[in-house]
Amino acid sequence: MTHPTLTKGTGRASTWAALLGLLLLAGCASTPQWPDQAQTAELSQPNRQLLTEVPFYPQEAYQCGPASLATMLNTQGLATDPEILKELVYLPGRRGSLQVELVAAARSHNMVAYPLKPDIEALLTEVAAGNPVLVMQNLRFNWWPQWHFAVVMGFDSQEQALILNTDTRQHYEMPYKVFHATWDRAERWALVILPPDELPATAETLPFLRAAHDLESTGHTVAAQRAYETAEHRWPDQPAPIMAQGNLAYDQRKPATAASNFLRVVNRFPGFPEGWNNLAYALSASACAAQASDALACAAQLDPERFGQAGHQWTNAAGPVISECPELPACPATIDQ
Amino acid sequence: MNGIRRHLKQFSLVMAILLAFATTVSVSAHAGMVGTGELIQQQQVDLDRQQLLSMLETQEVKDKLAQMGVSEDQVAERIQKLTPAELADFEQQLAQAPAGEGVVGVIVLFLLVFIITDMLCATNVFSFVKCLR
Repeated sequence: MTHPTLTKGTGRASTWAALLGLLLLAGCASTPQWPDQAQTAELSQPNRQLLTEVPFYPQEAYQCGPASLATMLNTQGLATDPEILKELVYLPGRRGSLQVELVAAARSHNMVAYPLKPDIEALLTEVAAGNPVLVMQNLRFNWWPQWHFAVVMGFDSQEQALILNTDTRQHYEMPYKVFHATWDRAERWALVILPPDELPATAETLPFLRAAHDLESTGHTVAAQRAYETAEHRWPDQPAPIMAQGNLAYDQRKPATAASNFLRVVNRFPGFPEGWNNLAYALSASACAAQASDALACAAQLDPERFGQAGHQWTNAAGPVISECPELPACPATIDQ
Repeated sequence: MNGIRRHLKQFSLVMAILLAFATTVSVSAHAGMVGTGELIQQQQVDLDRQQLLSMLETQEVKDKLAQMGVSEDQVAERIQKLTPAELADFEQQLAQAPAGEGVVGVIVLFLLVFIITDMLCATNVFSFVKCLR
């Protein structure tokens, strides 16, 4: 597979040639190499890994979704089985389950459903870390698909095989090539399901926060809060996890908690205008108008384009000034960027 | 009914442009609390843009761009101007690209994606692309 060589200045012809070349390239997507041991040494992937402490449910007709999900949830110590989950995720009319429903069902058990990066390294890293991975496969062709869910329970890098709990087979060793082809036709969809105080081995800040925020927006606020705390602990150099906790408290009408969270943000990340902005609103809701106006002014100073026009000036409604209004840190003069 | 069918292409182009405007306007006119979803989205856009820009730094990519007659600055400028929607669109294409494609492939893909929009005369960065209309 080589790229078509382009010569300078041949204009549109070369463009089309490049385009055609790319289409051809895309057409012959081959199986990527099994991750090299040397290359992934830091992951300390053992040669053979198999998660055994998981009950196995042979699927009944078309019910790979409930069976796979039950395996995933049981791994996390949740007592459930395919019969119960069938009510949640099985669509008799379509003789199957949808990905979104599996994700939603995981959330309804207060679990974080974390979608993996679509590459084999991520998948193997999770399995090596002890997390079974829910995958989707297309067992037939793109134009006549047969969708299937399975759980990757292990792998054998000597044999280059993945060990799956799939349909009625437990610990079925599927050659990597076959697995990758079927997985690739399902857009390499892979998911780990973990309680909110645990992080997936391949977790990255933004996707993890998105998964946590999805918990929040589906009403699982306690689990979301836990997940935000987990994220804050793991990525102390990121303002977003603390911001999320502040926003959650603000939405729950706890302005004082919200303000203390946003105050943490501006103390640790004084150059982060969103922190000052949200702090302003939380302070205003806690009847601290003077400090709120100061915080908003700071947000406007740091990012005039975004927060400059707001032009809010808050005044406290008549009443005693609450003495518990926090003292704000100094607004940084300019951002060093 | 047939009349609509015949003009479907033009119609969908107009709709696409309208929608693109609608999203940019709603983002910039927003004031108040910065929500968590908005914050995540915004940081993702920054991250994607940074990643794309950092790819321009490799020698292979520089060579490829020179070969195609496009300057690095032009591409960097184009990347800076990408709207969040375009960036997300590109990231999606990237995710679906064959695994193991190197950074050169990514940049070439990027150029091709935007050459196609240039052909629709939505943008006009590459002088060697002629408008079809």
